[in-house]
Amino acid sequence: MDRRVWEHPILKFDRGRELFISMNGKTIKAFEGETVAVALYAAGIMQFSYSSVRHRPRGPFCMIGKCSQCFMRVNGIPHVRTCITPVEDRMVVEVESGHDVDLPTPSRPIEVVPIKKHYDVVIVGAGPAGLKAAIKAGEAGLKVAVLDQSPYLGGQLIKQTHKFFGTKESYAGMRGIDIAKLLISQVKEFDNIDLYSQATVVGYYKKEGVLLAYQMEKLGVYKLLNFTAKSFVIATGAMEKNLIFPGDDLPGVMGAGAAQTLMNVFGVKPADKPLIIGAGNVGVIVAYQAAQAGIEVKAVIDIVSKSAAYLVHSSKIRRMGIPILMRHTIREAYGNGRVEGAVIYQVDDKFQPIRGSEVDLDVDGVWLAVGLSPSVELLELMGADIKFVPELGGYVPLRSRILETTAQNVFIAGDVSSIEEASTAMMEGTIAGISAAEKAGGNVEKLLEERKNAVLWLDEFRSGPHYKRIKEGLQKVLL
Amino acid sequence: MSREEIKPQKTLESGYVTIEDLAKAGMIPPMEVLERKAVPIIDDIEHIPCTPCYDVCPTKAIIMPTMNDPPKVDWEKCTGCTLCAQACPGLAITIVNMAFGKNVLKRDGLALVSIPYELIPIPKKGDKVRVYDRGHSFLTEGEVYSVIKSPKFGTVLVNVLVPKEVALDVKFVEVIKDE
Repeated sequence: MDRRVWEHPILKFDRGRELFISMNGKTIKAFEGETVAVALYAAGIMQFSYSSVRHRPRGPFCMIGKCSQCFMRVNGIPHVRTCITPVEDRMVVEVESGHDVDLPTPSRPIEVVPIKKHYDVVIVGAGPAGLKAAIKAGEAGLKVAVLDQSPYLGGQLIKQTHKFFGTKESYAGMRGIDIAKLLISQVKEFDNIDLYSQATVVGYYKKEGVLLAYQMEKLGVYKLLNFTAKSFVIATGAMEKNLIFPGDDLPGVMGAGAAQTLMNVFGVKPADKPLIIGAGNVGVIVAYQAAQAGIEVKAVIDIVSKSAAYLVHSSKIRRMGIPILMRHTIREAYGNGRVEGAVIYQVDDKFQPIRGSEVDLDVDGVWLAVGLSPSVELLELMGADIKFVPELGGYVPLRSRILETTAQNVFIAGDVSSIEEASTAMMEGTIAGISAAEKAGGNVEKLLEERKNAVLWLDEFRSGPHYKRIKEGLQKVLL
Repeated sequence: MSREEIKPQKTLESGYVTIEDLAKAGMIPPMEVLERKAVPIIDDIEHIPCTPCYDVCPTKAIIMPTMNDPPKVDWEKCTGCTLCAQACPGLAITIVNMAFGKNVLKRDGLALVSIPYELIPIPKKGDKVRVYDRGHSFLTEGEVYSVIKSPKFGTVLVNVLVPKEVALDVKFVEVIKDE
């Protein structure tokens, strides 16, 4: 089986040379540039791990290195995040038998080289927010480091095939994939910005002011990076939310963003006929992108009565014949080891099931577009005050207008501050980058005007009806 | 159950826009204008922060006081150049030229509708296509008159010949495969 897409109206998939890996003894073809999880999925393998007690099969959920469902033993090393680990020729991949109580041990030595690094500004996360922050701190003439756990820069921009909304200031009219290329090339022009990809932050030691990360050279060989900095920008993004229903752990149930990663970054079909839950912007945009990849989305459903998506996004898929069913939700996903069908039903205005409204859908995937949770764990470690604000996606840090948190010298930008979109993330990156540079003693005189304009731009961007809730949420966290 | 058997509601809340919704919002030009020149039909009646059509318009025919205002068209300033349809991130703009049959083909009764398209297969000149409305209801069969790929935005505009009566309803096409 080959689930790869070879023809696409917008994307070109530059696949590298052919490689071979083995999965539980079976040989699997892969292409250089793919990750282990992508190569397995492309070969039709959906079961990556098993739950420890009931041994239920699990497949990848997030595909961006945040969940733990794609953990596998690779070349003898346990608990490898296969979704962000590039394939190497003759890699040996094995399914782990449940997550043991004891720490698993590698069957070969792991090489770790400790290195100390000092920068003016350290930025965690190389998505739209982090890259913009890096450019601004770079312009201020400072020594800047940008860390990202993924092998690729650009965060979630690299899977956006659609032209962006917003204004010229936020690159409206350009596709996310092209904005990513632009920002990456801009960052690379700075000699004073160092990029660390495949570098995962694992801790922050407040007393010493040390940010600890390990960077993978290749599987089994790591640098232990010990960062100190005058200021930090945390742009760690967010993680997709789950939804609880019978069969929610079946392989084939995944975040809509995970489906995007497979389809648009790697050109691998996550399913042939999925159901999408959540008719907000993410759900309907992913439905459209699935159609571009030649996937027949069965329906997009949402329990509320009015789609939260921009009408232009929802009407785009309606005219293509993709049904949007409001006041509908999922009863269960079922199947033997993977999704083979799903039952949906209608609810009344009190969200109670309407008897007899069940419909059994012939689907092979369930994609969840039910919101995201900001990834605030690192900020908590750094001592930033965190508050639960549902309007912003969950636990988020308190912040000033110039995006400083209550932790000393720590700034935020993008989805980690509130779940919005890439346009706002870039603008927040601009603000946080300038603020962090100011704190670190950079030459920001010429940049302060830009920060002021970015703050005003955000105010205007958020003044529409779709931003009412977010604006209310922001009131609760503004210092 | 298959997708065709699912009958979604035809409501604005579920993404279905009607000509009446658009007319109420002032998005449909007077008949006199439609009979005379090519004009954009913009399916955007919401307040969203989005300005590419406004930014790209060479004659400043799109009126948008703030980034959140829905676009309004000054029908006299508009030249029907199609740049807004190429730029629109929502693929929400079709260009309707009701006078095309009469003026260019010398066949009154035919309109040319330019539809932004980002799916495969991309229709080719001469292809027969199924033509659909805003809710994917079949309207008619049409013929692809020409196909233009926007050099700046990458979006393809498929120009389809359809009967004038349905021109305002046309929003989507699918190539009819040779049997």
